[in-house]
Amino acid sequence: MPRTGSARGQTDTIFNGIKMAIEEYGGQIAGMKIVYLDWDDADASSQSWTSELEKANATKAIADPDVVAYIGPYNSGAAKVSMPLLNEEGLLQVSPAVTHTGLTKKVPGGDPTEPGVYRPSGKVTFGRVCPADDTQGPLAADFAKDELKAKTVFVMDDKELYGQGVAGLFERRCKELGLDILGHESINVKQNEFGALMTTVKGKNPDVVYFGGTTQSKGGQIAKDMKNVGLTCPLVVPDGCYELAFITSAGEENLKNCYVTMGGIDPSKLTGSGAEFVKKYKEKFGNDPEAYAVYGYEAAKVVLEAIKKVGKKDRAEILKTTLATKDFDKGALGKWGFDENGDTTLQNMTISKVEGGKFKPVKIVDRK
Amino acid sequence: MTEFCQFVLIGLVTGSLYALIALGYTMVYGIIELINFAHGDLFMLGSFLALQLVITIGVAATPGSAPAPPAPSTGAAVLAIGLMLVAAPVFCAALNAVVDRAVYKPVRAAPKLAAIVSAIGVSFIFMNMGLFWFGPVDLNFPSLVPNTNLLDGTDLRFTYKDLMVVVVTIPAMVLLTFFVRYTTLGKAMRAAAQDPTAARLMGIDVDRVISATFAIGGALAGVASVVYGLYFNTVGYQMGFQNGVYAFTAAVLGGIGNIPGAVLGGIVIGLVRALGSKYAGEEWSEALIFAILIIILLFRPTGILGARTREKV
Amino acid sequence: MTPRGVLGHWPWAALVVFCAVPFIPGTQAAIYGQQFLPLFIYAVLALGLNAVVGYTGLFHLGIAAFFGIGAYVTGILTVPQFPFQQSFLVAVIFSALAAAAVGVLTTAPTLRLRGDYLALVTMGFGLIAVFVIRNLENITAGTKGLNPVSPHLLPGIDDPNLGALRVRPGWGATWRAYPYFYYLSLVVLVLTYLFLGWVERSRLGRAWVALREDELAAACMGLSPARLKLSAIALGAGLAGLAGALYAVSQRTTAGPQAYDFNRSMTAICCVILGGLGNRPGVLLGVFLLIGYDQVLTPILDNEFQKDWYQQLFPEHMRGKQYLKVSGWRLVIFGAALIIMMRFRPEGLLPEARRKLELEAGDGDGEIR
Repeated sequence: MPRTGSARGQTDTIFNGIKMAIEEYGGQIAGMKIVYLDWDDADASSQSWTSELEKANATKAIADPDVVAYIGPYNSGAAKVSMPLLNEEGLLQVSPAVTHTGLTKKVPGGDPTEPGVYRPSGKVTFGRVCPADDTQGPLAADFAKDELKAKTVFVMDDKELYGQGVAGLFERRCKELGLDILGHESINVKQNEFGALMTTVKGKNPDVVYFGGTTQSKGGQIAKDMKNVGLTCPLVVPDGCYELAFITSAGEENLKNCYVTMGGIDPSKLTGSGAEFVKKYKEKFGNDPEAYAVYGYEAAKVVLEAIKKVGKKDRAEILKTTLATKDFDKGALGKWGFDENGDTTLQNMTISKVEGGKFKPVKIVDRK
Repeated sequence: MTEFCQFVLIGLVTGSLYALIALGYTMVYGIIELINFAHGDLFMLGSFLALQLVITIGVAATPGSAPAPPAPSTGAAVLAIGLMLVAAPVFCAALNAVVDRAVYKPVRAAPKLAAIVSAIGVSFIFMNMGLFWFGPVDLNFPSLVPNTNLLDGTDLRFTYKDLMVVVVTIPAMVLLTFFVRYTTLGKAMRAAAQDPTAARLMGIDVDRVISATFAIGGALAGVASVVYGLYFNTVGYQMGFQNGVYAFTAAVLGGIGNIPGAVLGGIVIGLVRALGSKYAGEEWSEALIFAILIIILLFRPTGILGARTREKV
Repeated sequence: MTPRGVLGHWPWAALVVFCAVPFIPGTQAAIYGQQFLPLFIYAVLALGLNAVVGYTGLFHLGIAAFFGIGAYVTGILTVPQFPFQQSFLVAVIFSALAAAAVGVLTTAPTLRLRGDYLALVTMGFGLIAVFVIRNLENITAGTKGLNPVSPHLLPGIDDPNLGALRVRPGWGATWRAYPYFYYLSLVVLVLTYLFLGWVERSRLGRAWVALREDELAAACMGLSPARLKLSAIALGAGLAGLAGALYAVSQRTTAGPQAYDFNRSMTAICCVILGGLGNRPGVLLGVFLLIGYDQVLTPILDNEFQKDWYQQLFPEHMRGKQYLKVSGWRLVIFGAALIIMMRFRPEGLLPEARRKLELEAGDGDGEIR
């Protein structure tokens, strides 16, 4: 996971979640010591994940016989690098945050070689505990139509695996719903301002602007440039922007009319064992968990439960047991399991606004 | 047509901002033929200082802490802008002059490559300083200049922010031109640029003149950084590279070492970027800038306004 | 042989060490041994760049573009999305040729540019290449990168199963796995090194140096500057393309366009300059120091420094911060290394004999133009 760079706030909290899960077992299961090694896949000069480091992490994990599970990565693009490597060796990989749909199943209209290319061994070795983008993108489109009363939308993306994927799913659903797509532009994330682009968008006068991208791919600047050119319609962004860094970079006053979606449930809206987790987290680390902390916790928990069941250091057994998990309720998210693709059976989404420097959920949608 | 005019307007405003940064490149290059790779990062540090300043006087929130303070009154905003426009240029000028003394002066006698590589090194160090200062996240720069349209009623949009860019950059360029042309120091600069040895024989302290050039170039970067922050409202430690590349391209496009050339180059880049985004698509607009640069250099190898120098044997 | 002469053969000593690494017992050796692989690939890239910048004196700031072209040609020829499905050997040859061809085609119109203008144009070319890779999604898959790049080794022959050869933990079963690909890259590096040594001493190599020292004088002696520059670019770009092909196979993907941006060109330039322009052992040393520090040492140290014994040396609020990590200081260290080198040893750690003489004589004419 990128432990350097601006995604760091988010990965810190995932890390904390994982740590909590391990501590709950006293760092020990069936006489084996459980150690979590924190491997960075980002370097300081690019400040985001690099394929070299992600690959190095995966090969390191494979070469170390003591490693029985690989929790990560954070970015969908990085998963493309490590998945085939880990798959070939049959090492379990569970990601708390990777949401690109094609990693686990075929996307209608998407790349036909997916997900087969990530599974050279033909078996499923990758699981994720967060809902994929095929939940988030379409539900955001429903939201735009039903709640924001939009008839026309303008779609933008950052051209990254994740952003482009979720923007495509959003656009597809919009077409199904009969919304008018006024245009689709990709930005260059190295660029510092988008005044000209936003002026173009303004000329088309959309009811809603959707940006498929992350904080790191200039989500904040888009919000600001919208304001600068006098575009007042709502902006909808996916969970790549669901982190405090997004508010820091955009400035709260520029996010008055911005909706952030997130696959899964916001920590503040969790009930039962989830609320318990949030409380414990606050006590331990002194601040609110970010959105994906609970998924870090959940990912570690499901792996650790499987290790406990297997009771020995056996990669193949642990892999099988983990991905066979059904009706898992020992974590914080309620009852769920992995389906045959390694996806979670949870299919809900939170839509939040920004208020008082924090995300405030306005709506929780469940797709059944 | 209105739409076209709107994009030309955007191009002119952003272009003059690039031009302001480009001036710092061009001045330094004009005198010691050094591509100062660190200029963009100096610009970044200037904007960080400006941001630090508005945080300290309470106009902006400390990054990460919430919620944001209420919008400052007009008086406070004017004061904050004034303060920044003094502090950032002074800081950048001093830093640039110090770096010149400490890093570039000792390698002045060595081949040109040594100085360029040192500049790359300085750029790395500046970037790392920025990283330690505010961390890797892009930061919001408070919007102290109102965003109201001055051309309300027409289809064009020209806000106070756009006006601010024009009001700051054009006088800065005019002043600089006068300074270089008519003051003693300006004349000394031109003399040192033409022939350092002869200038030295004429009693000009060339090292001091070079330091002064660095200081002025740095001050311009400082001014640009404040205007940039107020205009685009985002600063981040990586912004130096992108803006540095644009500014450097602007300087070379116009003919490096040539002050009107840098301004022209900056404006060309602003226009290409804005019109390119509109007519060629946002994703190609930046590639277009470099393509035009290469094409222009192929036909005019010393830039649009660059003097054709004969090669010395 | 004098002690200095013996030391002069350190690259061969390093070769012996690198050959022995996969045989070191223990799992840690296998884990860290494969981290040396990027060194070899970078070294091929830097040696290619050296032919352009070091021998011929063309300050090229866009070498990463050729590296990227090599990687993407390999990707296109091997991934399942395209109908080619060529073997590694074929892909490597095409990658190097394609990069060399692009190098010649893009450099030919710019030959009359001098010095900084050339530097800028090459930088612009490098930046444009990134945009092209990014935007031509039908061919390059945009930012996603082409994958999986896992070709057969030789055309028409099935890959042998090398699992039986596993004598140490961590050894893979295919030729693409550690340590086979590690050795393959090492062999490519050694061959490149020897080949460049031969080129250096050839008529062509000497002509390049003459061109670098004084273009006008060289032209007067009947050398064709245009042809010489293009041949240098062809060689440099071809080697960069070769390195790119190795990179794509080692990563199993072409990675995204950001892997071929200005940063990589800059890193390669830094390696060459730090080690010693124009001198093969110097370039190798530069790569081993910079890339070794960056990709091998930093992750190891960071891994160690995130542990409690280190973090507890500092007060609570400082823990986990950038400046407590080695990687946080990366740019400062790179920057300071460059500045200090230029101040005290501008000719590089292991300078080329000819260049060293020049600099010591205080003659500033040997500059890069």
